[in-house]
Amino acid sequence: MSAPLGPTGIATEEPVPPPEGAGLPPRQRLSPGQWVRENLFSSPANSALTVVFGAFLAWAGYRFLRFVFVTGRWEIIEVNLTNFLVGRFPRDELYRPWIAILIVAFVAGVGVGLSAQRGRAGTWWTRTKPAVPGLVLLAVLLVVAQTWTPLLLTAASFAVAAAGRLLGARLPLRTRRWMPLVYLATILAVFVAFTGWGGVGWDSWGGLLLNLYLGIAAIVLSFPIGVLLALGRRSTFPAIRLVCVFYIELIRGVPLITLLFMGALALGFFLPVGWPRPGQVVRAIVALTLFTAAYVAEIVRGGLQGVPRGQTEAAKAIGLSPVATTFVIVLPQALRNVIPAMVGQFISLFKDTSLVVIIGLLDLLAVAQVVTQQGEFLGQGLEAETLVFASYVFWTICYSMSRASQRLEKRLGVGER
Amino acid sequence: MSEPSAMGNGGDSDAAVRVDADATRATGETVISCEGVDKFFGDFQALKDINLRVGRQEVVVIIGPSGSGKSTLIRCINRLEKHDRGRIVVDGVEMSDDVRNIQEIRREVGMVFQQFNLFPHMTVLDNVTLGPRLVRRWNKKKAEELGMQMLERVKIPEQAHKYPGQLSGGQQQRVAIARALAMQPKVMLFDEPTSALDPEMISEVLDAMKELARSGMTMIVVTHEMGFAREVADRVVFMADGQIVEVGTPQHFFENPQEERTKLFLSQIL
Amino acid sequence: MTQTDAARAAPDQTRPPPWRDVRVLRVVFQVVFLVVVAWAAWWMFNTVRTNLRLSGLEAGFDYLGQPAGVDIRDSPFRPSQPVRDAIVVGLLNTVRVATVGIALATILGILVGVARLSSNWLVRKAAALYVESLRNIPVLVIIVFMYIAVVLRLPGITEAADIVGLVLASNRGVYVPWGEATGSVGVFLVLLGVALVAALVVAAWRTRRWNETGTPHHRLLWGGLVFLALAAAAYAALSAPIAITLPTREERVVEGGIALGPEYAALLFALVIYTASHIAEIVRGSILAVPKGQTEAANAIALSGYQRMRYVILPQAFRIMIPPLGNQYLNLTKNSSLAVAIGYFELTRITNQIIANGNPAPQSILILMGCYLALSLIISLFVNIVNRALSLERRT
Repeated sequence: MSAPLGPTGIATEEPVPPPEGAGLPPRQRLSPGQWVRENLFSSPANSALTVVFGAFLAWAGYRFLRFVFVTGRWEIIEVNLTNFLVGRFPRDELYRPWIAILIVAFVAGVGVGLSAQRGRAGTWWTRTKPAVPGLVLLAVLLVVAQTWTPLLLTAASFAVAAAGRLLGARLPLRTRRWMPLVYLATILAVFVAFTGWGGVGWDSWGGLLLNLYLGIAAIVLSFPIGVLLALGRRSTFPAIRLVCVFYIELIRGVPLITLLFMGALALGFFLPVGWPRPGQVVRAIVALTLFTAAYVAEIVRGGLQGVPRGQTEAAKAIGLSPVATTFVIVLPQALRNVIPAMVGQFISLFKDTSLVVIIGLLDLLAVAQVVTQQGEFLGQGLEAETLVFASYVFWTICYSMSRASQRLEKRLGVGER
Repeated sequence: MSEPSAMGNGGDSDAAVRVDADATRATGETVISCEGVDKFFGDFQALKDINLRVGRQEVVVIIGPSGSGKSTLIRCINRLEKHDRGRIVVDGVEMSDDVRNIQEIRREVGMVFQQFNLFPHMTVLDNVTLGPRLVRRWNKKKAEELGMQMLERVKIPEQAHKYPGQLSGGQQQRVAIARALAMQPKVMLFDEPTSALDPEMISEVLDAMKELARSGMTMIVVTHEMGFAREVADRVVFMADGQIVEVGTPQHFFENPQEERTKLFLSQIL
Repeated sequence: MTQTDAARAAPDQTRPPPWRDVRVLRVVFQVVFLVVVAWAAWWMFNTVRTNLRLSGLEAGFDYLGQPAGVDIRDSPFRPSQPVRDAIVVGLLNTVRVATVGIALATILGILVGVARLSSNWLVRKAAALYVESLRNIPVLVIIVFMYIAVVLRLPGITEAADIVGLVLASNRGVYVPWGEATGSVGVFLVLLGVALVAALVVAAWRTRRWNETGTPHHRLLWGGLVFLALAAAAYAALSAPIAITLPTREERVVEGGIALGPEYAALLFALVIYTASHIAEIVRGSILAVPKGQTEAANAIALSGYQRMRYVILPQAFRIMIPPLGNQYLNLTKNSSLAVAIGYFELTRITNQIIANGNPAPQSILILMGCYLALSLIISLFVNIVNRALSLERRT
């Protein structure tokens, strides 16, 4: 294909008829053999690594699977499943948690339906993949439960969620504004479901329920405190700023367990003489709330720094008072920016709720340790099974939340504004 | 209707040939040759059947709307992007998956980026001498001598011991040019070198590039600076939608464009 | 009239009445705020004191001089020693686990972090599996698991497992090789210092040769080899002044090596693998955070992959890494407090015991918090110094 040379000897470009198959991307698939060669054995060092790691992983995988399916004695989990999930919750009031689950399923369905209105990203598989670990856990729990009631109630929850989704898909888009309030109301409704009408006080809540309750209560209560601290840290009043900085740095410099101890052992000393001494759960919530507030404050502070200064200036220019500027203009933008970080903080907090075993509360980890002391299981060394089970439950919840947070981040990056 | 004297072969062919009597820079030897080059990003075709030859000491300016594939094309030339079909040959070495070829081509092709991409943790002089010392294995003295020469060429020798973060945008880009020149390349590629600069700093960079062109460097420049194209280019290439639409001398291009697409683009920017 | 004349001629700006003057209001507001905070603090302090007195506990810090009544395992501490000594022992134990933990976690974390970016699919996936598993489990669960389900499950001392001939693992403790002075250690250390200097000299010589001729210096290799050679020579010349003792078992007694108590071993292991998973993510994130343009610029001047990493990417990634890495060190130190759940006698456990023995809780916990605060400040200080030393010059 030689192009004609002009008088100066520079080649010219002549239009060449496009070859066959032009306009289509070339075949990119590597054959399995090529893939293995490129990814696993591309160099002597890599080949050695593949062999070593492959052998180790095969051995570890074999031992683990053998433990799970062959040698593990899971009877202790079967017998104690309710303990793991709700601790010492009165068994004849178990309808309350189920009511709560149905309420949450419905509202979640509505939320999903509403957000699906703005178009779905990715294929069916990419959208469902994050829910797989949660569904697997659900299946495991149902298999362990071995009775029909949980199965039927779970199916009912899915049905309710689907109904919520249908409703959500039909609601006008405007209602998205109200969803945060709806979620808050849901939390209250769940709380009422547990405690209303001669309900079960939270001192009887245990197991996974207790971890969830502590986490949600702490994040909800610490939120306003954290926002105030963040605003105070950025205040132009040195006195306020100093006090806020002192609090934040103090809390962030000490381990959570010291605060839990303070709450469990010393909170009573801080209350005036006549006042009733609070229960253990309240003490834990106070400690967790004060702890989380400092971290929320730092997150919100980062969000506030991300709001361009021009926003405040524009607000001042139209005559808004400083308070109005903060709460109407700056804070909404700041909070929207930090939603992923807040979810991360909640995941962290949820993991930290496992510390309450140290102050004597019966959370999931505590149940895992305590049930091995039961008469029929004592001394059989079943801690491995119970701890693996507790780890598995924690892992599924945290992993699912962190995946959801990543997707949320991506979605917010695209953004509606 | 006056025809520019450069019109040798008549005005209705797709390609025009530079017949200028002032044919000082054209030596006829092809340094870069692209034949039938296609490039896909997933299903999107960024380059469609690109055929381009660049001769030694020639200055080719590529213009076009954003998304036309101009940056992709020059990034394929030094393998920052991998072309999917066709051949790219640089100074007799074909661009392929062979690591040795790639390295050889990269040694002979210098690139200046829109975002400068200076190494922030090294001084200006270290930025410039890193390539010669590590790749060409020169000793420190020789490398620094050459480095200072290059910095003088772009007129900022006094900044040699500062860090990139301490320089203005225009100075940083000139350091980037010096860094590329320090490898003594046969070809210099410029990917929108002035697009990230404040207006008052554009001219200092363009001046450096003009001096480079006058000294006989083979250059391919992707830019929006039409004044530069008019003044310095031997050939102007207009790309749109991944294809080369029109090629010509600056006179042909700006005063007598042939294709509708070219006319549309020029009307929007001039 | 000149401008200054005009200014002098203008009337003074009318001062607003104090209750509307912004400056006055600011000061007043802050004074009020501080008064409120101070009053609240005083009120709280008073309440605590009253409550303590009513419970028959003292309200001051005199209890620190009283006998602790705490029995600390694996330590020369006697229960008759005062409380403050017990606290010091706890603090030292915390430092013991924190320093070793930080060092090991950093090494493991860097290895796993780099592995996550490997070109080998299996290595990459294995590292990802490790990180994703451990990041999503509470650290306390890992600590308890390591203790109850691993260390306590180790064979008894009479059947202690022998790992690669170096480590003895039993449920009474893990025994690792340790050094023992068998000769003139001081002289040996001096000779090691000499070897180090020699290695540095060789490295400098190689660098000079690189500057003069351009041949790659390989100075780490040269310096390292010189150091090892001289150290070995000194070792031989002094006829083994430090002996590495391997733990060997004779019935129920272990000779040689050093013993890591089961609680310490479990805590250390758990903290290291947990923190390493976080450090791995930080390392990976830092390398990915180096702008892509840097890789392209390095490629454009034909640097090899190794040169690109060594001279361009890693130096920048390292700078990015320092603050979050420091944060993980703080977390590890704070997480060591969870040893209270498995009975390792670090600071929190001992404080717990002190309170259980009837000493006042508010003061004890305050001291506990103060100690952790001090440790946190020290670590933060180090991290800040390193960060500032490495930070890049900016255009003012």
